Amino acid sequence: MNKMKMPTGGLHLTVDRRSFLRATSILAAGGAITLRSGLPVHAQENSAELLKLYADAKVDWQKNKGQTIVLGGLEHPWMNAVVPLIPLFTQLTGIEVKVDKQSETEFSASMPVKLGGGSATPDVFMIWALGQAISAKWLQPLDAFRNDASLFDAAWYDEPDIFSSARSFEKWSDGASYGLAITAEAQTLFMNKSMLDAKGLSAPASMDDLLKLAVALKSEEVAGIAMRAKPTGDAAPWTLAGFVFSYGGAYVTKDGKSGLAMPESIAGLDMYGKLLREAGPVGIASYHWMECLNDFMQGAVAIGCDSSNFATDIEDKSKSTVAGNTLFGVLPASEGKPAKPNMWHWMAGINAKSANKDAAWLFLMWATSKPTSTLAAAVGLATPRGSAWQTSAFRDRFGAQAADAALKNLQAADGDLFKAAWFHPKAPEILDAVGIAVNEVVTGSKDATKAFGDADGKVRQALEM
Amino acid sequence: MRALRSLTPFARRLALSAFALWCMFPIYWLAMMSLKTQVDAMARRPKFLFAPILDNYLTVLSDPAIWTYFANSAIVALASTALALLIGLPAAYVLARYRFRANADYGFWILTTRMTPPVAVLIPFFVMYVKTGLIGTHAGLIVAHVAINLSIVVWLMKGFFEDLPGELEEAAAIDGATYFQAFAHICLPVVLPGIAAVAILAFLFSWNEFLFALVLGGNDVRTVPLGLYAFVGYQQVRWGELSAASIVLLVPVLLFVLIFQKQLIRGLTMGAVK
Amino acid sequence: MDARTRFIILMLTPATVLLLGLTIFPFIASVAMSLSNYSMVTPDSLAFAGLQNYFKLLQAEEFWTALRATALFTVLAVAIQLALGVAIATFLHHETRAVPLLRAIYLLPMAITPVAAVFTFRMMLNPSLGVFNYLLKLVGLPPQDWLGTPAMAMTSLLIVDTWQWAPFILLIAAGGLAAMDEEPLQAARMDGATEAQVFFHHTLPALLPYLGVAIVFRAIDAFKTFDIIFVLTGGGPGVATRTLNLLAYKHGIEFLSMGYAAAIAIVMLAITIIAAQVFLRRMRMFVPRAAL
Repeated sequence: MNKMKMPTGGLHLTVDRRSFLRATSILAAGGAITLRSGLPVHAQENSAELLKLYADAKVDWQKNKGQTIVLGGLEHPWMNAVVPLIPLFTQLTGIEVKVDKQSETEFSASMPVKLGGGSATPDVFMIWALGQAISAKWLQPLDAFRNDASLFDAAWYDEPDIFSSARSFEKWSDGASYGLAITAEAQTLFMNKSMLDAKGLSAPASMDDLLKLAVALKSEEVAGIAMRAKPTGDAAPWTLAGFVFSYGGAYVTKDGKSGLAMPESIAGLDMYGKLLREAGPVGIASYHWMECLNDFMQGAVAIGCDSSNFATDIEDKSKSTVAGNTLFGVLPASEGKPAKPNMWHWMAGINAKSANKDAAWLFLMWATSKPTSTLAAAVGLATPRGSAWQTSAFRDRFGAQAADAALKNLQAADGDLFKAAWFHPKAPEILDAVGIAVNEVVTGSKDATKAFGDADGKVRQALEM
Repeated sequence: MRALRSLTPFARRLALSAFALWCMFPIYWLAMMSLKTQVDAMARRPKFLFAPILDNYLTVLSDPAIWTYFANSAIVALASTALALLIGLPAAYVLARYRFRANADYGFWILTTRMTPPVAVLIPFFVMYVKTGLIGTHAGLIVAHVAINLSIVVWLMKGFFEDLPGELEEAAAIDGATYFQAFAHICLPVVLPGIAAVAILAFLFSWNEFLFALVLGGNDVRTVPLGLYAFVGYQQVRWGELSAASIVLLVPVLLFVLIFQKQLIRGLTMGAVK
Repeated sequence: MDARTRFIILMLTPATVLLLGLTIFPFIASVAMSLSNYSMVTPDSLAFAGLQNYFKLLQAEEFWTALRATALFTVLAVAIQLALGVAIATFLHHETRAVPLLRAIYLLPMAITPVAAVFTFRMMLNPSLGVFNYLLKLVGLPPQDWLGTPAMAMTSLLIVDTWQWAPFILLIAAGGLAAMDEEPLQAARMDGATEAQVFFHHTLPALLPYLGVAIVFRAIDAFKTFDIIFVLTGGGPGVATRTLNLLAYKHGIEFLSMGYAAAIAIVMLAITIIAAQVFLRRMRMFVPRAAL
């Protein structure tokens, strides 16, 4: 195996050459992507070589030379991985990119105000609520760019390399595409290895196993399992969904109706509630991902179940006491049904009011292209490109076992179930009702049937309006 | 009764110290957190003793962005405080000292500007600012903060002006002073301690204001609360940097408060001769 | 126009111009929005809706739940902070040692950036890793589920809000005490009044105008409290701490139903106006005391 490891200071970027060649199929023999830390990407000795990675695209990169676009995004691994690469884009295209980065709360609070007020910037932005943004006509359909030979080279862009779930994310119900996937996350099980070993237990094979395991691991000192239960739309609904879906339920059915009152959905909520009531920590009702992750990383809870992205924090010794002591696994299935962990692809799109749409498209295509994805994956970003997941740089950074578990969960996930709920124009109302229901079940103030029954009423009402 | 009297100073000091501890504890915890690694900061058994590190401060202080936040906040908070006083003091004075028909209604109207919940006015404000070019400018944010703080300046200063004896202006009139001279030269100096207190409040409100700074200042005029919020990222909170940065940025605020306190105390001794 | 009238108008002009310029358009726009079906999700079907949003709101259970939570939070927060703030201000007024230092310490909660303070509280209140439960256990008390039950969640929010804002009342009360005429107090003491009698019969009445303003502003701000609740409970458990402002934020910024959100905001404004009018009239704060 011709593997090169270059000392790169703070930024370890090693690319398994064979997989990288497969990934980019452009790089001349003998070259490897190395970046010296401290130097901006365009000042690297090999920046010319990096640029060559894009030169093969039959695209008129310089078409919008001299324009300036604004990129709007949140404090997020994607921004952190891609923004440092932007000088390369500017060198390639002559387009300046202004970066407008905010925390998630700020971003989701200020974007509706800006776009609702008719702002032409940001030109490109991360999409925090796709259904809403499409209904509100804030997003430019991307198909016209794809059909323009001067703006898109399908062979070079290599769409089959992108996960099928991500490609299905990009297709809206009207057949058009309003955004490109930029990340991939799947609901993954994290287990404290030494706690499992101490009791001679192993990863669960079914939902009932998971419950038994969590209860068995609970003690005076340590809770069995912690998952989100805070009653907000961005908290509990995401992790609950893996349970509801795996029991055969849905938040929104394929014909667009509320699925909360389905017995399968209720069974999923019931299991989620049981897990947290019987094996969860005190105060679980106010837990968001932050509390779940902290408890797990401090060894205060034996099992966690959340985004695969947390692997990078869990395996970071400066943040976590369980680095090297964590088993990443698949979400177990319920009897006789396939496991359907929840998943998520962040997407980015173009502002429908942007004055620089072609430049914005060039950026979007550049940012999601194979070379950029490979570079971003090397700093640990989970991109939606299979080739990037195969690079050793990514597997080193993300953790090979965590990467395998994440991939398995991603492949098991049902993107359509997710899309039906999260991409619904009324998604926030639906998820808000689900969040409250989870919280009520976890605190024991309602049982699953009553909680989802009430939520079902609210969702029906919201869907009628 | 005598026993109670002699107990009072002790009980009083106990209460004052307890309240001081209560005010300080979360700040102390934040400061400790800024000296910990992330693992220690979240430790299962909260750590009171640990090996302190300075990495968080080095990271934060070497980031030029933090100085930009500081400069933006300083400009906006100082200017909006000064402007709110400049505009608010005359209004407070006539509302306190002069009887005229619309007096009560005018005062109440000023108060209502603070009552409106921001959700409904954010979009109109944004549109208005885009149309006038005030969006993303220091001036725009300063003006917005003046509007937010004007009510508190007017209503608090009204109270201080009302407490002045009625003979002040009469004496001034006898000496041949104009209405404005009576205000500026006779009454203003006497209410200096009040002005200092109100200035501190207006400054703090502006320094920590979040929502309008978010929507109207945005990325071009990122103030301290916005800058610090950036440490609360997607799927991670950078505790070390958040705590270190907030402690660093607390220092200038405390300096400002201390300077005004001096003024406040000096004003007090001047006021004592009235 | 005589010189006196001209003087009054001139003195009020800057404030009038600024506030008219800045608040009239947003106010009219939000009233207009509240009378429409404006939702950003359906931009093409914008239409006048009359009082529909208001009818819907007043019939919604979530509105009354939120109103109760908001009223409870506001009344308790203001009452606790008033008692604490005035007590500490009075103590401080009689104190001679370390006063500037204490005053600076008391301002810390208002000076620290709220996001840092609120997230610190979120850590401290954490049931399994937080320092509050750790300290409780040290002294042999059972650990609490600080944000888990409706009563505890409201209590915790009040604790955090009081930590942050009792100093506000304290500062204003201290200012009032400093500006107060001490002579009547001394006279009362000479007549043999106890400190308690002096406080309740002389100090407090003289302070009332200042406290009135402090109460009004604290109540207005407490009624709109957002970040503490948003970060700590998100409105939970269930909807126990979902206040009106949180409800308005949800409908406006999350659900994008700006018409409905504006209606919530206008109703909040109306409630505040009525409450403030009643309060200020009771306190006789509309009449200038030393009028020329």
